[in-house]
This record gives sequence, structure tokens and C-alpha cells, in this order.
Amino acid sequence: MLVRQKCIFAMASIPLVKLSEIYVLNVATKHLAREILPARNTYGDAFPAGDPRGQISEAWRFPIIDRYANTPSLAGDEQLNKVTFVVRDSDLGGPKEVAVIGSFAGLYEQIPLQPVLFMGEPTGFRACSLLVPKQQLHIYRFMVDGQPRIDPINPQQRQLDNGSVWSLFFTEACSELITFQPWEARLLARLTEQILPFRTGDGEQFLKNHVNFLDRQTAANRFPLSYRLDNSVGAVNFIDKILSREERHHRSNYRICLGIIDTLLRERNSFVDTHLMSREMYAELYEQMLSGPDGTVPGWPYGEYGRPRFFMELVRRHTYTGAFSHPKYGGNAGAAGWQFLASRYPFDWQAALEAPLGRNTDYRG
Amino acid sequence: MITNDFDAIVIGSGAGGAPIAQRLTLAGKSVLILEKGPLLQPQYLSEDGLSDFKRDELFATGPEKRIGIEGVANRGKAYFSSHVEPDLNDEPHIYRENDNLEYATLEGYTAQVIGGGTQLYGAVHLRFTTTDFRLQSFNDGRTDLRADPDGEVRREARDWPISYDDLEPYYCQVEELVGINGTSNNQLKAFSIDNLQQPLTPNPISAYAHQGMVIQGEQYRHQGQPVSPYRTPLAVITEDHAPSNRKVPAERDSIRSSYVNRYGDPLGLKSSTWVSLLAPVADRPNLAIWCNCVVTLLRHQGDRVTEVVFRDPSGQEQVLQVKAGAVVVVACSAIESVRLLQLSELADQEFSRRINPNNLLGRYFLTHCFGGAETAVVGNPASFPPLQFDKSASLDSDWAIDYPASEDFLQEFGLWAGAAIYNNTSDQALPLSLARTHGSQDIDTIWQTFDAGFWQSSDPSLPADQRSHPLHGQGMIDFFRENFGTRLSVSFMANQVPLPSNRIELHRTVVDKWNRPVALIIKDWHSHDRYLMDVLANQCREILRLGNANPNPDGIESGGIYMAGNARARIANHILGGARFGLDRNDSVLNRDCRAWDFDNLYVTDGSFMPTSGGANPTHTIEANAFRVADHLLNRL
Repeated sequence: MLVRQKCIFAMASIPLVKLSEIYVLNVATKHLAREILPARNTYGDAFPAGDPRGQISEAWRFPIIDRYANTPSLAGDEQLNKVTFVVRDSDLGGPKEVAVIGSFAGLYEQIPLQPVLFMGEPTGFRACSLLVPKQQLHIYRFMVDGQPRIDPINPQQRQLDNGSVWSLFFTEACSELITFQPWEARLLARLTEQILPFRTGDGEQFLKNHVNFLDRQTAANRFPLSYRLDNSVGAVNFIDKILSREERHHRSNYRICLGIIDTLLRERNSFVDTHLMSREMYAELYEQMLSGPDGTVPGWPYGEYGRPRFFMELVRRHTYTGAFSHPKYGGNAGAAGWQFLASRYPFDWQAALEAPLGRNTDYRG
Repeated sequence: MITNDFDAIVIGSGAGGAPIAQRLTLAGKSVLILEKGPLLQPQYLSEDGLSDFKRDELFATGPEKRIGIEGVANRGKAYFSSHVEPDLNDEPHIYRENDNLEYATLEGYTAQVIGGGTQLYGAVHLRFTTTDFRLQSFNDGRTDLRADPDGEVRREARDWPISYDDLEPYYCQVEELVGINGTSNNQLKAFSIDNLQQPLTPNPISAYAHQGMVIQGEQYRHQGQPVSPYRTPLAVITEDHAPSNRKVPAERDSIRSSYVNRYGDPLGLKSSTWVSLLAPVADRPNLAIWCNCVVTLLRHQGDRVTEVVFRDPSGQEQVLQVKAGAVVVVACSAIESVRLLQLSELADQEFSRRINPNNLLGRYFLTHCFGGAETAVVGNPASFPPLQFDKSASLDSDWAIDYPASEDFLQEFGLWAGAAIYNNTSDQALPLSLARTHGSQDIDTIWQTFDAGFWQSSDPSLPADQRSHPLHGQGMIDFFRENFGTRLSVSFMANQVPLPSNRIELHRTVVDKWNRPVALIIKDWHSHDRYLMDVLANQCREILRLGNANPNPDGIESGGIYMAGNARARIANHILGGARFGLDRNDSVLNRDCRAWDFDNLYVTDGSFMPTSGGANPTHTIEANAFRVADHLLNRL
């Protein structure tokens, strides 16, 4: 699952960006600076008891993934994200020499984090900013006085085949699965089909036309990122990413319920793989999970998970958001969600948005 | 300790602080702004030409978070917030419901960023009326006030220690220096100078409100003429703005992007106090701006504030000395300003005796009576499906009308004070906001109706008991067909009756991430408020009906905010009162210059100075008053 960085720049193996102290503090102060508090930010069970991330506000914001442009006027660098790593001395046992190593820089090159100053004095934060292409996934670690350790703030991690644990981040519009196993993603796609309008006659016709539209755009280099367009229009990918990052506290809901749904469907039809079952099977299950009070889905193990309706409501919010949010979050593939609305209603979404996605020449994204 | 040579220390860079900081800086004084929030730039001020604000619905109102505060009744519940609103678990506001349970709420926060609430607001910039400044005198001797059995309204109404005429030149300054577009003609307030820029083409949906406003306005007279609508003044520039060196796009209509309310503007065309007032002077050597610094305490010696204690961006506590002759201006938005003063008095009895001798600090906390009416536009005769408009090409409002502030209207309905009515255009214009604010527009209930999974169709061919549709599949297509780009709302903004029981206190147990007690909001609506809201909501409904938005009044939803399930929390980001100014030191916290009576150098200039809330959005008046106080400060510095 490692993605090797292709060297775009001849000199450095990874392009660095001059560190802006105020840029770092704009995020670090709000989310990291605090006295010791009870762990209010666990959101239920996102973090185990005692994990300091439960005391941080929105630990998922780190490393900071942001837009990048080389100069105020040149538009050639929109393929890159600016990734900013931040650590607190207090998490590392005091001020230490810290560097980051990662798959974006050959795994062994150490990129030092600089102390972030305020009025010339150390703040206890250290940071560095570097450029990583969009649509990528990377593992990294910090080297703290020469010793490797995972990021004490970013909760995203991956265990490699050799058992070592690394921290993980992904850049905009990444389509590599992180949270879901492929079978979970396929099953979820069938559920999202029940929610989104694209399985209706109109919706299917729209998707067919939209693929042609995208082919023409890609040929004309207007949509430089490739999109895999399916009936979920990227909503499954969006959910995969939001569960890794912003809404980790919902991972267990998906893990448990997709497993239950898979088993339930197999019990209802033992001849076909679940992701190939008919729409009617899914429609029936969906209606059962949504209708009536909890407790009316035949065969559902309520002892394991008591509120299947809550799960479908969650899937619905995620699916809708995935279909209609900015494509940089991994959904709304090829702006299909927006284009669907624009094809039916007066909605000139392109007028306000940045090129090449939109056609606004003032706003740069 | 940091010693310094600052003549003025301004705490907060929003509507209350920025005008003072700018005016004093331009006059050559040495000024420090301490701002809790980050410095986020528009494109043209950013090194790489990219703004820290985005036209991105998910960026603006983010992912789901969960309340984890101990002891509140909504612990575990979901909440959603802007990237520049505080983390509720770090810094909650708590309010008390009428079941006596306490809830964490995001209400009562504007935004925490350089520019404060002016970065996120919809930018409606209305002046208050002449009457708004003198509600005690206006109501003195009246016997016709409705829904006020105990006479509280007349007893609690207060005149401001300044008149409309006193503030009028400063309103003109705001219009010129901040950058506002709209029309003054037909407003019921006198304009000595018209500094308003040309408004942009209205969104076609607004015609269905405009016509209704014209018809309703004809029933009321002001100086012998019927009252007519005017283009809503909005703090968005539509022409190049010389005072702030801002240029508009060549294609001016592109300014109407609908990414307005709850969005910082990446192009800087929304006239936040940063782009309009502070950025143009930020390079001057006599202005220092320390952002990501939160002031936690004020200390004094005698009648002078002598130390400002703050947390620097690392969280380290620092102490700033206030030199002799320097002034301290508190402008953190009313709840947090009051809280800062209350925390300071908690730490020092003598401070308490000086700031709060009459137990008025935190009392007479105010918001606005607000509400309105909303419908899918079906035209007349009604068509189905509803008419569709591209609401994504809009600003926050196109038309406003002042007849609910006319004396005729107030006498007819027995109201103590008036209101402005204006239509909304950018609300629910984009797909995520359509879904997450469906059924409710307040920030504590985002996504809740959508999550419940059903919506009510207005299809007249269906029997009433068959109009509930699911929010998926074909039901979602039908939801879009009836709701996307079809809905028009008209709102009112009215004075709220001041009550001493409406107050801000320090919570007895819940602390913020710095271990300081958080603000507890205790407030309710007076019976006259409810009556007033009923009257004005009905006006809004009539406007939509007469404007041919919907000939059937039953098809138009309307109401005042007191009807909401969480009515006690609802503040609409208009955070006012709690440290009112006045002429009588026994009846106010601040004097006419917004100076704390028993302090020589402590001023409070955010909305907390207001003794009554005005019949309009408050920012214009907060900024005008701040310019007024700045002139006073220049006389003493």
C-alpha cells in the first residue's frame, strides 16, 4: 500500500516550503495550546482512555494539509498540497531535535522541524512544511533525538507487514482505501445507491452522460485529476477518508454494521456475493433499517449493535456530504453531484469556484 | 513581564475594537491589538496568493464533533462548527433551559479570528432609528403597550446617553471607511451624507419579497409619504474602495457568490474589519497586532488598569504592563467581554467594587427578537413544482423596508419599539447548507432535521397525510425539486425588552481549557417580545403572500425565535448588553464614553455597551460607536 513519491524536482528529493510561524500558530494555538483538561475531545470512543489526543482539539487536523501555489500569479502548482508537520515539545519530554522521515522522501531522508517562535521566543512548537502531490497516501515517523516514534498528535496510523507502526496522512482527493477493506467499500457502495438519486432512470442517464463529459474535459486538460465514477459518485471514498480523519469516532459503527449487514444478506441469499445482490435486496434491507422503531430488522443481532437506524442515518449524512462537497474531500467525483443539480436546476456552481474545476478567474481556491 | 510603550491596548479586533485601533494608529498613537484568534488572509494579502478562507461548504461548517463537557444535558450530542468558532469542548458557553438543565451551546460566539464576527457575518449593515436611541422617552406615559401586564417594558426601557444625531456622523464614517453598498433613499433614518456604493443586480427570487414590501409599506406613512423598500446595505464592496485599497473584479456580478454568511471572503470584498480598517494600516510601525493571544485577566491599581494578563500562542502566561496615561479597550464580543471583567473581579475584590458596584455587570444581556417567514416560491396562481432560481448568485439580502419602525406601525400594534424587515437570498443556496439547515437555521441544530430522514412535500395533488417523503433515492430528487433554489425567506430584526434577569454569569463548575470558569447564559423572552415577534412574523408572511411568493398563507412557515425548541439559547450572533452605558452611574456600568465609571482608563466598546438592542443588526452601530469613542480617546491621549 506504500506509494512511492516520484521525484519531480531534480535537486531536493522533497520540496520544502519556507516555514511561516504565524501559519503554524494560527492552527497550533487553538487546537494544541491548553492546560491539562479532562479528556473532553474523545467523542465517545475515538481514543482510548489516557490517550492525550482526547485532550486535544481536533487532533485530526495534523499534519495540516493545505492548498499550495508557487507564486501569487502562477497557476501551475495546483497538483501539490502543502503538508505541515507540527509537534509539541511537551509531548516529547522536552525540547529535542526533531525530524520527519516518510515515504514522500524515500523513508530515510530526515527533514528537520524548526522551532516556531513568537516574538523571538520558542513556543514549544516545532514544524516544517513540504510539498506532496495530491491524491497520495504516505506513512511517516518523527525522529526525536535520533529515535523513531509515531506522531503523538495525528491519530491516523498504519501497521506494516513487519509489525512496525507508522503515522499516516493523505492528500486531497486521494482515492486509495484507508479505512475500509475492499469488500466493505463494495458493500457500502450498494447502500449509498439507495440514498443517492443515481439509481433512478434520470440519475443513471445523467451518469452516463457525465462520463462522456468528463472524458472530454480530461482530454482538454480541464480536469487534470482522474476520477473513478461509480454510482456512489465518490461518496464511498469520501466516507473512507472522513472516517480516517475528521470523524474517527464513527469507525466502529461502520466496522460493526457492515459486518452485520454482510452476514445478514448472506443469510437471506446464500448463492450470491453480497455486493452482487439485487437492488431489491438492498432496498428491502434499507427500508427495514430505516423504518419503524429500532428492533424491526429481521435477523439483526441487536445484542451486538442496538440501533441500525442510527447507522443508516449516519450513512445518509455521510453519503450526501460525500456527493455534494468539494471534490478535494474525495467525493463528488468529477463534480458529478454538482453537475447533476446543474443539469436539472438553475445552479451555476462553476461561476464562483476556482479553475479548472470552476471558471472563476478571481478566486484561486 | 513585558513592559511596553503602548498608548492603547485594544482587546479584540472585530467591530468594537478595530475602528479604535485604526483611528488611533492613524493619529500616530502607539497601539497594540491583542486578538485571541488567528490571522487569516484574503488572496491579495497572502504571500502565495491563496486565501486562508475557502469557498467550500464543508470547510466553513465542518465535520461532526461531540460534546464532551461534564454535567451538561447534551453531553454526547453532535455539534458542527466553523473553523473559526471555538472548540466547544475547550470553551463552551452554557445556557440554562426552562427545565433548569444546562446545555452547552455554540450560540453567543461570533467568530474568533482577526476581524471577529465581521469575517463570518452576512454583512447586513443597518443604522438604528432615531427612536431606537430613546425608547424610555418614547414609551413614557404610553398606555397602549400590549402584552405587558406588569408594566415592565416601560420600567426597563432606557434612553441611550447619545442620540441618533450624535452618532449620525459616525454612521457616515463607517459607510465610507468600511465599504458598504446599498441605497439610503426610502430608509426611515436621515443620512447627512450618502457614502453607499451601488448595489448589484438583485437575485430574481427577491422580486417576490419586494412586491410584498411595496404593498405593505403603502399602508404606513412617514413624513406624509408611503414607506418603500430600499436595497439592503451590505458590507460588501461593489466598486473599488480607495480607503482600503481594495479592487473589485471586472465582472462585478461575480461578487454575488452566495458564499457569504458564515464564510470568510477569500477575495476580501466582504468588508471585514481586517480588510477594511486594519490591513491598510498594519504595516505602520506604531501598530502591533498579536494574534493567537487570549487575554485572561485584567489587574488594576486604584482607578487604573495596570496589567493585562494573557496567554501567548504557546499557552504561556504573560503579563503586559499598561503605562501611565494609556487606555485599555475591551471589545471581545459581549459575552466574553463581560466574562473577562467578571473573571477579573473574581480575582480581586477591589476590582469588583469598581467595575460592578450596582450588580449590573452581566445584567440586561440582550439579543434581538428575530424570526420571519419562509416559503417555496410557487407564484400566483400557485404552480407546482415551485419556481426555481439560481440562489447561488446572490449576497445575503436584496431588499429591506423600515415601515415596522414607523410610529404609525408602533401605535397600531401597541409595540414599544420597531424593527427592520429584509429578505434573505443566500440562505440554503448550496446543496450542503440546504440539507443541513433544512427545518432549522440555528447553529446548534445543524443536520438534525436531515438526519431524521423525512421531509414534507407541498405537492397539492397529494392528500395531506401522504406528503411525508423519505430523504433518499427518488425522495431525494423530489426534495431537490421542491427545495433547491425555490425557497425565499423574509426576516425581521427587532428590539428585545431589557430585563435584569437576562444575564451572563460565571459558571460555578465548568471551566475552559485554561481552567477559567466559562460563561453561563441565563435569558428568556418577555411576553411583549413574544407578542412583538408574532406581529412581525405575520408581517413577513403577508409580504410573501402579497409578493406572490405563495398565495396561500398556510403554505408559508412563519414565526419568532421564541417558538424554537431551544429558544432560550437563540442569539443569532447578535451579542449585546451586559455592560450598558448611561448617564446615571447607579444605572449603568459604563459612562457616555463607554468608560467604566470607576476606572480612569478602562473602556468597553463591543456590543455590551448597548442598553437596548436596536431594531436592526448591530454591527453598523457597534462600529460607528467605536469611531465615536476613538474621537474621545484622541482627546485624552
